[in-house]
Amino acid sequence: MESERVPAPAPSPGSDSLVELRGVSFSYNTRTILDNLTLSIPRGKVTAIMGGSGCGKTSLLNLIGGRLRPSQGEVLVDGQNVPSLNIRELYQLRKRMGMLFQHGALLTDLSVYENVAFPIREHARLPEAVLRNLVLMKLQAVGLRGARDLMPWELSGGMARRVALARAIVLEPMMIMYDEPFTGLDPISMGVIAKLIRELNQVLGITSIVVSHDVAEASMISDYAYLLGDGRILGQGTPTELQQSTSPHVRQFMDGLPDGPVPYTYPARNYLDDLLESRT
Amino acid sequence: MKIFQTLGAGTLAAIERLGRMTLFLLEVLSHAGMMVKRFVLVVQQLYSVGVFTLPIVLVSGLFVGMVLGLQLYNTLVKFGAAESLGLVLALSLLRELGPVVTALLFAGRAGSALTAEIGLMKATEQLAGMEMMAVNPVMRVIAPRFLAGVIAMPLLAALFSAIGIYGGQMVGVGLLGVDSGAFWSQMQNGVDFHEDIMNGVIKSIVFGVVVTWIAVFEGYDAVPNSEGVSRATNHTVVYSSLAVLGLDFVMTSLMLGEI
Amino acid sequence: MTNRKTAEVWVGVFVTIGLAALVWLAFRVGNLTTTDVANGYRVEAHFENIGSLKVRGAVTLAGVRIGRVVQIHTDPDNFQAVVTLNIDGRYKNLPTDTSASILTAGLLGEQYVGLDPGGSEEYLKEGSRIKLTQPAMVLEKLVGRLLTAFIDKPADNGKKK
Repeated sequence: MESERVPAPAPSPGSDSLVELRGVSFSYNTRTILDNLTLSIPRGKVTAIMGGSGCGKTSLLNLIGGRLRPSQGEVLVDGQNVPSLNIRELYQLRKRMGMLFQHGALLTDLSVYENVAFPIREHARLPEAVLRNLVLMKLQAVGLRGARDLMPWELSGGMARRVALARAIVLEPMMIMYDEPFTGLDPISMGVIAKLIRELNQVLGITSIVVSHDVAEASMISDYAYLLGDGRILGQGTPTELQQSTSPHVRQFMDGLPDGPVPYTYPARNYLDDLLESRT
Repeated sequence: MKIFQTLGAGTLAAIERLGRMTLFLLEVLSHAGMMVKRFVLVVQQLYSVGVFTLPIVLVSGLFVGMVLGLQLYNTLVKFGAAESLGLVLALSLLRELGPVVTALLFAGRAGSALTAEIGLMKATEQLAGMEMMAVNPVMRVIAPRFLAGVIAMPLLAALFSAIGIYGGQMVGVGLLGVDSGAFWSQMQNGVDFHEDIMNGVIKSIVFGVVVTWIAVFEGYDAVPNSEGVSRATNHTVVYSSLAVLGLDFVMTSLMLGEI
Repeated sequence: MTNRKTAEVWVGVFVTIGLAALVWLAFRVGNLTTTDVANGYRVEAHFENIGSLKVRGAVTLAGVRIGRVVQIHTDPDNFQAVVTLNIDGRYKNLPTDTSASILTAGLLGEQYVGLDPGGSEEYLKEGSRIKLTQPAMVLEKLVGRLLTAFIDKPADNGKKK
């Protein structure tokens, strides 16, 4: 990535957490997804949220983004309690957040260039020449300036995500949330994304929240990590601390053990009873 | 008994759905003012909704007109009233067949396409992505499509009627030998602008609103996977067709009742 | 995304031909141009029975339409129908003894007012009243008259009106 003359955001006074969840509970239908959860995302750092499928990682991002409401607790982003904001305030806040969806979520009827230009066109009145420079700069940052006239269906998975990343940073947000950025990519593409996440954080100072279940990659790029499960935090710390944790939950996840606190066998009746029943 | 429970639950679900649909429509309409400022979006949708439906409307109109010409002539000639062919043909098309058949074709072609497109945008998280970029998807995606549908329908219905009359004339005057002068003069004397043409236009506008409303709602509300989108598309075609036919009866009785 | 210019052109074409179709329907197929009566003056005519004459029905002279029916109500004193006709200003020389009859037109049976000019040298003007009128033919009364004619005939030998 070429160095850009983008000034680093001024350090803000007050708490050093950009995002804080305090006692947040969230359920979907009858299932409790998050139970009295408290965690904080430090400003200017890369924080990983890891956990098994269905542990509420994506719900967490949606709670931070205001698309879901917790049944209990506070979700604070830069000091504002998200669930209590009205629509206009929420939209104002969202302009300062970037989100990278799992498959990019590019608008399929627009070209790569137009996709990256979309947030600018919708929110700002910039002369076309300025807009063009901005878009090209962001595309250059993700290494796809030459692909600007392609359509989304002509891109590979990795390329689509990079375009989505360019789009997410075009308004220079204070934070970016990455929803499973490594899933489904080949090792090279994974390396590219990891590099970009790390660089965006270091060069532009953007707070990054990476939701992933790829332990290796997430550990490599993050400064701090949380392991979620059963609606609560099973472990937290720097990647090194987690690697050395003795908690069985953390160990099973970090080492990828098939059986442990998360059982291998789905709860069932006695095996013999089941077999005998089929004979009658 | 179980059956009553199912009926009750089903009715409650349907009512809840109708309520959501109405609130959705109100939200869509609240962005109508914005659409005037961003008319380019509406124009783009008019292209995919209106222009693409044009061929099927024109071809169907032509054939319906020609068949009507044949059928009506067949009956009228028995009463010695073959010269009224133009009048009866025009009335049938302007009052009924123009608006209704066009609405059904529109529901099948444009309505289902709208539902599928919006449903897929939901399934591929494009709508969520827009929300996170602080762009309201109802304003950006739904409102232009809704307005385009409402604008396109009366134009399509008028084209259907016009080309149908032409087709009927081709058959009646050209093939069956009805006097051309009588054909047009009886039509012009008998077709009233307010009662026949305007009522037909009013009907087609109402149909446009209903069909597009159902189409965009079904897409927006679809379960975000392939099965959900397919089911939503199915709903659009079935519900809007039924709604069109039902509303047609209601409107016709209201309109004829005024006379 | 389809080329924006092409899309806009096609939409323009679509809207234009749609509106053109509407206009064509209104004027060529319907009778939009001929609904207005220019500089009209109003006269009244009292009828015993107006049949199915409606407001906006035609008023003709020698078969040519020269006006429209604008109002129909009943006179509470003599129980007759009062029909107000709006006659085009070009026809200023209708004699005051012109008669008005309610006739039926064509196959669909729409009723209209036919005027038969008299010979007076004074002309109808705004507010005049047409005195000679012929009521509409009501089918039941016709049949009744026919039947009584047949019934009365044999017994009529001695009775002279």
